[in-house]
Amino acid sequence: MFDLRLIRADALKLHRRYGMLAMSLLLTVGMAVLVFAVEIIQHADNPLKHDPAGGLHSYQGAISFLTVMVFIVAAIVGSTAGAQDIETGVFRDLAATGRSRIALFGSRIPGAMAIVLPIAALVAALTGIVGVTLAGSLAAPSAGAIAGGTAALLASGALGCFVAVGLAALIGSRGPVIAIVLGFELAISPLLSSIGFLGDIRQALPANALDRIANQAHRGVAVALGTAIVVLIAWAAAAFAAGAWRTRTHEI
Amino acid sequence: MTSTTQIREDSLAIHTQDLGKRFGSRTALDSIDLQVPRGTAFGFLGPNGAGKTTLIRMLLGLAEPTSGSMRLLGRDLPEHSAAALARVGAIIEEPRFHPHLTGRENLAVHAAARDRSAAGRIPASLDRVGLAARADEKVRAYSLGMRQRLGIARCLLADPELLILDEPMNGLDPAGILELRGLIRDLVDEGRTVMLSSHLLDEVEKTCDAAAIVDDGRIVAQGSITELRNGGHVARAIDIDCEHRSRAAAILAAVHGVGSATDNDDLLRVTLTPEAPVDREIVTALLTRLLGEGIAVGRVVPVTHSLEERFLTMTTRLEDRS
Repeated sequence: MFDLRLIRADALKLHRRYGMLAMSLLLTVGMAVLVFAVEIIQHADNPLKHDPAGGLHSYQGAISFLTVMVFIVAAIVGSTAGAQDIETGVFRDLAATGRSRIALFGSRIPGAMAIVLPIAALVAALTGIVGVTLAGSLAAPSAGAIAGGTAALLASGALGCFVAVGLAALIGSRGPVIAIVLGFELAISPLLSSIGFLGDIRQALPANALDRIANQAHRGVAVALGTAIVVLIAWAAAAFAAGAWRTRTHEI
Repeated sequence: MTSTTQIREDSLAIHTQDLGKRFGSRTALDSIDLQVPRGTAFGFLGPNGAGKTTLIRMLLGLAEPTSGSMRLLGRDLPEHSAAALARVGAIIEEPRFHPHLTGRENLAVHAAARDRSAAGRIPASLDRVGLAARADEKVRAYSLGMRQRLGIARCLLADPELLILDEPMNGLDPAGILELRGLIRDLVDEGRTVMLSSHLLDEVEKTCDAAAIVDDGRIVAQGSITELRNGGHVARAIDIDCEHRSRAAAILAAVHGVGSATDNDDLLRVTLTPEAPVDREIVTALLTRLLGEGIAVGRVVPVTHSLEERFLTMTTRLEDRS
């Protein structure tokens, strides 16, 4: 299902979108640098009022914010990976080669990950370095905390790719997918998390599962690590299945 | 399947039987029996909306038929479509590419979906269609003609036994059309089969060895270009440049095999009956009668029909039937 040549081809299509790459870096690394720069300046200006840019608390806040940003970038890159062949009309020519449509669809996910995960890894490294080196008098994040934060960023990127590629294949267009994912991540998910009477159903929200992987409490929703992993896999599998079904059965 | 049938099947690049496609209550294709011999340039002719692209989409596994069967390069579809399509290059409607990639990169993307040797054919394919010098420019800067040529190059990546080209002349200037016609003939000379779908009758007539004419989802005729041009219900005729045309017409009307003889634009047009002997014999008979009556003859010209006339005759007949 995952052919290395097809994955390379999908990664090439994404790598050549320089505007999208620049925006992805801006939304993640750029935003992290901006936040850290502001914190450094504020701390230098008034150390008594503002904590250092590093330290465990600051690190956890940055990871929580960047998990969302990486998910947004994954939505942009993933929806592009999922829809670009369809939108340009190239998918018809690829399918006419006799190559399995599932293989053509399946290669888009690792193709998108080849862009998103290095960015997630870069921003994780940057956040970890700042968290430790600029901790000052505060407790620095432990190796376990950094591992959890890094895992959360990578999982966010991977899940975003699965969901966006699957939805884009289902819908056939990237614009609506970006809108749906952003709306869910930025508005619907926080809203549902804050509704207490939903109880344990809220464990099924990806944001809560990702926060559990990063070892952070998220709006009072407690999720076991195993449950968090199952939730992420279930979302990824559902998106993959929807996209694969549409790709296999669509008359083009 | 008997061995004779097997041999006949092996000589066909495309064979459909009773193939049909419906979209809801609308019939797009109805009982299509198509036979495309290997090693020929085969025209698939029809007006826009006749069902040409629908048939191509089904052959390429992009849409499913609602009835009938298909064989491509001797393999049953859809059971063996992967193996059959691996040796088929196709342009459907118009060649589409990723505009932000170069021509070479677009071919690399397509080659990844082909066999492992496809990537190695990229330089030769680009060279063959005359795009080697501009292969590293982004496709968004290409003209439609260049995209058509890049589409042909993409077809060649498969080292195809069969090329299916849907309206490949669209967007080409006269020189480009001439060039593509030459390329198609070269491909056929190499033993490949080219199926050329087009509404340009003149192009099919000049490029192809055989053709099928489709109209309103049905094949109304198929055969060699000569058969299509001369066959069917278009009566044979001979134009004669002679003196005393009125008297000559009266004389020739009585000759066996002549349906009518009328004055036609300074020539005498002799329309033959289906029972008339071959041209050499009937022309000899007509000249013998005229010369025997003392009527001098300047020249004798058999009237040839173009594929366009034949096509229009058939479609008109269809309209009459409905």
